[in-house]
Amino acid sequence: MGKREKVLVKICVGTACFVQGGADLLLYNDFLDPVVLANCEIEGSSCLGMCKMSSTKARPPFVQIGTEVYGDMTQERFCKLLAEAVNA
Amino acid sequence: MNDIFIDVDYAQIYKSGQKIGGDVFLLSRNPDNNQVVCTLSDGLGSGVKANVLASLTAHMAHKLSFSELDLTHSAKIIMNTLPVCKERKISYSTFTIADIRHPSLEDIHINLVEYDNPSALLFRGCSSLSWNREKIDLQRDGAFKKEELSRSYLKMEVGDRLIIFSDGVTQAGMGKSLPLGWRVEGVRQFAQQQIERNPSISSHDLSQAIVRKANTLDRLVSKDDITCMVVYARKPRRTLVVTGPPFTKEKDALLGEKISAFEGRKIVSGGTTALIVSRLFNKKLKVDMSCWSPDVPPCSTMDGIDLVTEGMLTLSKVALILEEKKQVRTLHDDAVKKFVEVMQDSDQVHFIVGTKINEAHQDPNIPVEIGIRRTIIGRLRKALEDNYLKETSQEYL
Repeated sequence: MGKREKVLVKICVGTACFVQGGADLLLYNDFLDPVVLANCEIEGSSCLGMCKMSSTKARPPFVQIGTEVYGDMTQERFCKLLAEAVNA
Repeated sequence: MNDIFIDVDYAQIYKSGQKIGGDVFLLSRNPDNNQVVCTLSDGLGSGVKANVLASLTAHMAHKLSFSELDLTHSAKIIMNTLPVCKERKISYSTFTIADIRHPSLEDIHINLVEYDNPSALLFRGCSSLSWNREKIDLQRDGAFKKEELSRSYLKMEVGDRLIIFSDGVTQAGMGKSLPLGWRVEGVRQFAQQQIERNPSISSHDLSQAIVRKANTLDRLVSKDDITCMVVYARKPRRTLVVTGPPFTKEKDALLGEKISAFEGRKIVSGGTTALIVSRLFNKKLKVDMSCWSPDVPPCSTMDGIDLVTEGMLTLSKVALILEEKKQVRTLHDDAVKKFVEVMQDSDQVHFIVGTKINEAHQDPNIPVEIGIRRTIIGRLRKALEDNYLKETSQEYL
C-alpha cells in the first residue's frame, strides 16, 4: 500500500453545530477506528457557515470531509463516511 | 474611561487559633468624583471583641471621611463611641484612613490620617519616600494616654504605592526570630526587595507577600492579626471584547480599525466574528482542539488576538461564573476559564457588540441558553462592575 494523502476533516464548532451534536463529534478519539483516525487530519472550524444558508436542507452539526460538507452528522454517520473516504 | 487606576487590595491572616479577625479593612470607590477611600482599623485585643471595636471604628471612620466633618472631630467622636473593654477598662482601637482623589493623571493626592497604627510607607518605584506628618493632639476627656492623630497630605504619581499595615506585621517574629519584631524598617526593606524583583507587582501580590513573610517570622503561629493593604496608582490594564458581526458588511472595516487601534488585550468571541477578523487581518484562524468541555466549544488561536472563543455559549457561561464569583481554579480548563482569567486581570473592559442577527440561532431546536447577545453582555458588565469593581463600557456596531 503506497503512501496516501490524509483525508482533511473539519468539524464545525460554531454555536449552532456545537449544541446540536457537534460536541459529541469532538470525542472522535474515543469512537473512531484508529486505522481510520490515522489516515485523517481532523481539525476544528470556528464556523463553516452552512447553518445560515437557506438553500441547504441539511441541519447542524456540519462536518467537512475532503471538499464535501455534510449536515445532520452523528457519530455513526461520521464513522461510516470517514471509513468510506479513507478507503476510497 | 479613566487613564488612571487605583489598585487597592489587602491580605490578612488572623491571630493563630482565631476564627475572626480584630483587624478590619474597608474600601469604597466613588467613581463620580474619582474618590477611593480605604480604612484599616485594629481593635483592642483579639477575636470577637476586637472585631466589634475595629468594625465600629472602621465603619465610622469610613463614613465620616465622606462627610464634611473635620477629621479631628471625627476621631474624637469615634473614640467616645467605642465600648469599654471589661478587662482593661478602656475603649480603644487604632485606625488609618487613606482618602485618595484622582481628578486627573497629573493630580493624584491622598489625605492620610493615622492613629496609633504603624506608619504607612510610600514607594516611588523602588525607593521609599519620607514626609512630614502634621500632629494633632486629641485631648479627649478620660483619655488614658496622650492621644495624637497624624495627618498628611501626599501627592502621588503614576507608579507610586502606599503600604499600610497593622501592628501584627511590625511585631511579627518578636521574641522568636527577631528580638524586637520585624519593625517598620524591616517591612520597608522587604517591600523594596519585592518591588525591585517585580516592578509592576500588583497590590494583591505585594500585600500577600508581606503578610506571608510576617507569618513566617512568627513561625506560622501568628501572635496577632496580620493585615496589610496596598494602594497602587497605575495605568489601567485594558481589554477589548469583540462579539457579533456588525449589522452591515460595510462596517466590517470599521471593526478592523477599532481592533487594531485598541491598546491592550483583545478577545474575539463568536465563530462568524472570528472569521471576519481573520479575513480583515489576513491571519490564519486555528481551532485548538485540546481545550474544550461538554458545554463550552473549543477556543482558537489567531496572531494579534489574545483569545478567540465561540460566542453565546462561552459568554453566557462566563457571565454565570462572574455572577456567582466562582474561583478560577475550580473551573474546567477551557475557553471560559481563559476568558474569566483575562476579565479578572483587567481593570477596564470595553465591549464592541455587533448587532447582526444570527439566522442560525433563530432555529427553535437551539437550547434556550442561547439568548440575546445584548442581554448577556449586560449581565457580564453588571457582574464585572458589581462583583469585581471593574470599569466597563460598550458600543454597538
